[in-house]
Amino acid sequence: MDCEKILNLFRSELITVNVGPKLLATSLEMQGYKAYQVEWKPMAGGDKEMQEILDLLGGVD
Amino acid sequence: MTIEQRVDAANARVLEIMTKSRPVWVDVRPAIDVIPGMTKTTILTPGPGIDPDRVTPPQRTSICGAVLHEGLANSMEEAWSMVERGEIQLVSSQTMNVGNAACMVTSASMPVIVVEDKIFGGRGFAPLHPGGNPKCLRWGLYDEEVEHDLRWFRDVYGPALGQAVRAAGGMDVITILSKTAGMGDENHNRQPAASMCLALQLIPFLLDMECAEKNAVIKHFSANDRFFLHVMMAGVESITASCKGIALSTVMVGMGGNGVEFGIQLAGTGNRWYTTAAPKIKGTFLKPTYKEEDLIGYLGDSCVTEVWGLGGMSAIAGPAYMRLTGSNYAEARNRTEKARAVSLGEHTFAPVPWEDMAGFPVGVDARKVVGYNILPISHGGSALRCGGQGGAGAAELPLGCFKESLRGIYAQAKEIMAREETE
Repeated sequence: MDCEKILNLFRSELITVNVGPKLLATSLEMQGYKAYQVEWKPMAGGDKEMQEILDLLGGVD
Repeated sequence: MTIEQRVDAANARVLEIMTKSRPVWVDVRPAIDVIPGMTKTTILTPGPGIDPDRVTPPQRTSICGAVLHEGLANSMEEAWSMVERGEIQLVSSQTMNVGNAACMVTSASMPVIVVEDKIFGGRGFAPLHPGGNPKCLRWGLYDEEVEHDLRWFRDVYGPALGQAVRAAGGMDVITILSKTAGMGDENHNRQPAASMCLALQLIPFLLDMECAEKNAVIKHFSANDRFFLHVMMAGVESITASCKGIALSTVMVGMGGNGVEFGIQLAGTGNRWYTTAAPKIKGTFLKPTYKEEDLIGYLGDSCVTEVWGLGGMSAIAGPAYMRLTGSNYAEARNRTEKARAVSLGEHTFAPVPWEDMAGFPVGVDARKVVGYNILPISHGGSALRCGGQGGAGAAELPLGCFKESLRGIYAQAKEIMAREETE
């Protein structure tokens, strides 16, 4: 099995993609690592009733 | 078609009306002559409809002042008793395609700006802006001086402006907005360019009219750099009149406050208000002695301009106003970007030069507001509890009324689905 590609990944610079609370990305940056924050929030702020309504009405990508 | 496809189609129709309409100021007439459903005992009030026992003090002053102005009562106390007994009917302005800014009310004999949308046929109305005198019914103040001004508006100023605008063949609102693009108006709380452009076009006709007080009329009109706001409000009302009732549309077509509640209307459910507690407009106090507790909650219909993409929605078009909201240029851009994130389209007639000629967003979709949890910001003026203007600033639109509005459209969708199942 050719593990070279995977090993190369670990030998290269670590860049983290963080989804969710920004705290983790900030902590990594403070330790000298690169981090990209994905701006993501649960639909309707996590409101289940609104999510159900939006499932029917649509309009949210 | 799925419900989502139907909602999208309804919204596309509303957006078409909002972006292709052509509002033209055509006349000034007494309210009772032009507003369908207006009666001698009707008082149109801003924001969502409100029961007399919840009316705020400055609004109560305006209502009673209007009743006295109409000659229906002899004292403020008698006027209020008539309201409480139901002999005077309080009706939410925007349900009649009328915009009343701040604490203003409309009664039968008051002259109103008449705007016609020449493409889709809607008509909208608004009282005339009172001008620079801070003591006015519009800010919940009434005495002999205010009554004197109201009579001059009714007997001289209104008829003169009507005569001039008719002679001019109407004043095209889109043309004024296009010509003044890039002149720093956000057209809710700041419109000196649009007002001056309007004056430039109307004064020649005012000079030619037959009116004994011609000079006084021209002085009052040309000295008012906020005159265009009320033309614009009537203009937006003429547009939303054609949007209301397009079933399943989730596009906002009305918004306003009554001092206690803030509300929005969606095209799909027409004149139905979705309300929540009124936020306060925060920014700059007009006097350093004023405090936040001196202010009442969001009051007025002038924010109907925001429904059409003006004010806070196009904050970047008028960044100078940001100082009054206690903010800066970056926040102006942020406000417009927030509005863009929840809007379905963009106006093309008034590009913003310092925004790479981008137009301002239009057609706020309640689905996106709730789904993305992004709250647009409205500009506005704030009223003092004791009457008078307390300040100017901005307020985030409350999420609660958007959620309530989606419940309304959801119920409409369910009704349609149930009906079609039985057919």
